[in-house]
Amino acid sequence: MIELLAPAGSLERLKIAYLYGADAVYVGGYNYSLRANAINFSKDELEEAVNFAHNLGKKLYVTVNIVLHNKELNGLIPYLEELSKMNVDAVIVSDIAVIKAIKDNHINLEVHVSTQASTLNYEAALFYKSLGVKRIVLAREASREDIKIIKDKTGLDLECFIQGAMCTSISGKCVLSNVVTNRDSNRGGCAQICRWSFNIGDEENIFSMTPKDLNMAEYLEDMIKIGVNSFKIEGRMRSVYYIATVVLEYRFLIDKIKNNTLTLNDVKYASDIMNRCANRESVPQFYDKLPTEDEQYYLGREELSNQDFLGIVLESNDNYTLIEQRNYFKIGDEVEFFGPNMETFTVKINKIYDEDKNEIEVARHPRMQVYLKLGKVIPSYSMMRLKIFDKSSYL
Amino acid sequence: MKKNKILLLVNNKSILDKIDNKDVTFLFPLKDFSIGFQNYYKIEDIPEGGYIFVNKIMDNKNIENFKEVLNNISSKIKGIVFDDIGVLNILNNLNINMKKILFLNHFNCNYESINIYLNYVDSVFISPDITFLEVKEILDKALKPLVVYTFGYINIMYSRRNLITNYNKYFKEDAKLHNYLEEINTKQKFIIKEEKEGTVIYPNKPFNGLELRGLENVLFEFINGVFLSDEEIIEIIKAKDNLQDKYPYTYLGKEQTIYKLKGEEND
Repeated sequence: MIELLAPAGSLERLKIAYLYGADAVYVGGYNYSLRANAINFSKDELEEAVNFAHNLGKKLYVTVNIVLHNKELNGLIPYLEELSKMNVDAVIVSDIAVIKAIKDNHINLEVHVSTQASTLNYEAALFYKSLGVKRIVLAREASREDIKIIKDKTGLDLECFIQGAMCTSISGKCVLSNVVTNRDSNRGGCAQICRWSFNIGDEENIFSMTPKDLNMAEYLEDMIKIGVNSFKIEGRMRSVYYIATVVLEYRFLIDKIKNNTLTLNDVKYASDIMNRCANRESVPQFYDKLPTEDEQYYLGREELSNQDFLGIVLESNDNYTLIEQRNYFKIGDEVEFFGPNMETFTVKINKIYDEDKNEIEVARHPRMQVYLKLGKVIPSYSMMRLKIFDKSSYL
Repeated sequence: MKKNKILLLVNNKSILDKIDNKDVTFLFPLKDFSIGFQNYYKIEDIPEGGYIFVNKIMDNKNIENFKEVLNNISSKIKGIVFDDIGVLNILNNLNINMKKILFLNHFNCNYESINIYLNYVDSVFISPDITFLEVKEILDKALKPLVVYTFGYINIMYSRRNLITNYNKYFKEDAKLHNYLEEINTKQKFIIKEEKEGTVIYPNKPFNGLELRGLENVLFEFINGVFLSDEEIIEIIKAKDNLQDKYPYTYLGKEQTIYKLKGEEND
């Protein structure tokens, strides 16, 4: 069964990911995690996360994926033992010292090799298999053919990225950040220099290496056929809105594949929604070809933000739905509600009420709480966004 | 100072006649299996006693092709330096009489990992992405002699994308040769080198780790000859001091990188 694996940089995002349809979530623990400026989980938060996941019958993976320096060897084994005691379902690692520490100390942890290890061929995968590794997160550069061969020749679980930011470099093979800013890319400090702007030669055009994001919506069915076990969404730094939107869209697509009802229009709609909620365009990258000029940006950081995310539902009953505002909205706006276990629906806002149930014209203050009358009960953690795309026009 | 052997990555073969090979082992970027160099060499171009350098991250097709090379490799090749873990797995299963050295660019930053890999290979390159003190601690605790990066340009980014070609296509330029980048804010300059199967970036100045010469437990002191002239290489090999005035760039040798950053939510 294919797994939908989502990122989370906080407990709130983790809960959102599960509620919106992720089968598993990966997080950074309180040590040894590659997103040093993501808000990594404390010990108490990790314990809560594991319990939350397991109560839903879902899985939690913890990244232990930095390249260790000498001093970080101290404390590694006790940390791994703590993760084992918490019953996390797997650790994602790139340094062989972590793999061997788990094996040699008989620590009960399933090991997934991180994409940082740049695995692109079956011989490398077989080496990791010989160390007891259960799963490989393949390099994002893996083509369809590479994935299929690695699966056929190793039988290992394979995890592939399907959505999110791409490194310009092969992951793990870039220290531009170390050179330019002294921030260590392989220990979680990457300053994303590849997204900065450069002069090239004597040209007036600005050179940029910025890749567009990855989007594999159109290839999901094929990826399942060739043996991919887990679809991974990138982005432990991403917002609750991004995680909710992307997880929900991929959940929808995977379920349609399972039901044999997926259409091209479904893929098109999901891709439009996901492109809109990210700040970069997302496209397939290495799966079917080498990326061309169409898979990059060239004029600096062409990243567009919007204010589509209007609010999150705190509670709802037959009369009122309480919403925490995230962006400005007003009477007359046409909005959509989407969320876990519900059909997305459209509403034109006729009235807004403040916390004392007084009518107001606009919700302008960040995180202010307002009431709407929706005429139905919707789940907590549902989200309200500006309506941009009309799903009926995709039918 | 202890005199260790030098492993020199050959840029131009002309250097072979200018250096006494008693103290120097020559390492040749292998055609079709290495990336980021000015010159590449076929097995038949490599003299007796030479080592091959294989730093490409290989897909399945590359790895099958490389198996063919290894199966027919001449006995004159005495060593291999490689990056891809798949190559390590192949070598493990081959009875081949070569010195096996793991490069694994940007990894090999701690003694524990290095000692684990030493179960499979004869030696390991210590990453140049760490401080000189860390290098020395690794040498103290390594179970076999290691290779120390002592001089040369460092490959700091390796992409499978054809970054220059894509740029030219986007701006509809005729295959202009672009060799240099300059980051707009910091004005730092880089060498960029695109090839058929990817693009590599180097800082525009060589790393000087000459103060790491003469240490114990060293198999080779490595000099990367790419972008260096024969005269520069000879000067570096013969230098009595560390040439700090001429080549002041010690990269991270004297400064720990930063990686614990306070984050902010980005809802």
